[in-house]
Amino acid sequence: MAYHLIKGLIEHLTRKEEFFVIIVGLDNAGKTTLLEKIKTLYNKAPGLEPDKIGPTIGQNIGKIVLPSSILQFWDLGGQRDIRNIWEKYYDECHAVVYVVDASDLERMSEGWEVFDTVLNSPRILGVPLLLLANKQDLPGSLSIENIRQNYEEWWQLRNSEEAHRLRTRRIERRMASLDVMGVSAIEGTGIREAVDWLFLRVQNARRSVRSHFVSPFRVDVGLISISQV
Amino acid sequence: MGVTISSLISSLSSLASWGKEQDVRILMLGLDSAGKTTILYRLQIGEVVSTIPTIGFNMETVQYKTIKFQVWDLGGQSSIRPYWRCYFANTRAIVYVIDSSDHARLKTSRAELLTLLAEEELKGVPVLIFSNKQDVEGALTPGKMSEALGLDGEKGREWSIRGSCAIKGEGLEEGLDWLVNVIQKK
Repeated sequence: MAYHLIKGLIEHLTRKEEFFVIIVGLDNAGKTTLLEKIKTLYNKAPGLEPDKIGPTIGQNIGKIVLPSSILQFWDLGGQRDIRNIWEKYYDECHAVVYVVDASDLERMSEGWEVFDTVLNSPRILGVPLLLLANKQDLPGSLSIENIRQNYEEWWQLRNSEEAHRLRTRRIERRMASLDVMGVSAIEGTGIREAVDWLFLRVQNARRSVRSHFVSPFRVDVGLISISQV
Repeated sequence: MGVTISSLISSLSSLASWGKEQDVRILMLGLDSAGKTTILYRLQIGEVVSTIPTIGFNMETVQYKTIKFQVWDLGGQSSIRPYWRCYFANTRAIVYVIDSSDHARLKTSRAELLTLLAEEELKGVPVLIFSNKQDVEGALTPGKMSEALGLDGEKGREWSIRGSCAIKGEGLEEGLDWLVNVIQKK
């Protein structure tokens, strides 16, 4: 009995906080290859080799254990028909990774269209979003500067007052970090930097949003102090 | 007795305003590699973290004493500086970070700062300047930095230059203390 109590206590004290990250983006962006590479880099059992990976119709899950917390990744299918499952994860995730194939110039504007929808989804305005420009190993793929510029140009093309107004509103609404990094999921370059970025930013993602919207907790504390005075 | 009651009332009213939990929006700006992101996370989690150049932005809330700061750390590379203005609305204070050991780009940093100060939307907004990387040999002292920036014409706002070393955590709290004081007066 005592043993179980102590064991339970130890488990409770050493429990690591778990955070959820969704990986989305167009099909063939390299999302599953990214997940498998993350698993290979952080876990004892290596992930799948890239040539064993086919299109995802569904979801893959990968978990990595960091010194103070656990990151669980959900890699979600990117084909058009399956993209509507993404939003089922929005309320639970602590961060969003959007992967773009930086070498596929033909599908760039399709990718931006989808990216913009994700970026503006009200339920994830409070969680950090990391745009990964994948396939940096391929010649001709866009660098992060060019990726950003490409996105801006795509925006300019939709140039209208409506677009400008939407953009301003969006900037006012997003309440969490947003950044872009270059990676090669095949070679593994940039992956650790991306995981570091996520690890640092998930800690407060949901917490601050929740306390912001839900909690009268702070006020209660204030009232208690007042009545004690 | 009178003193006691008035101090009681003022502490009650500060409790009440605390309860409203109004986040104070702060923009952290400066050239790339000045140390903005390092400062942000040093303030938020109290640790030095490895950072990469920010292309987009970071946003974290930082509770400091009685104030909850909503700190926006915007990327500082020249190509993305034009986007800073998208974030000016509702800004209560600016934290401007300068690498005080980067003599070659001091002029550029000063020019960007003066452009900010000339913005209509930022009129009267207080500016805290961190003369960062004080630990690097040859770094300008806050006094020298003040001379180099020449902000003596800025009469319409409060401003303060502070020496800091983000990786050691030095000077940051003192700077925030100044900011808290300035903001609470308003």
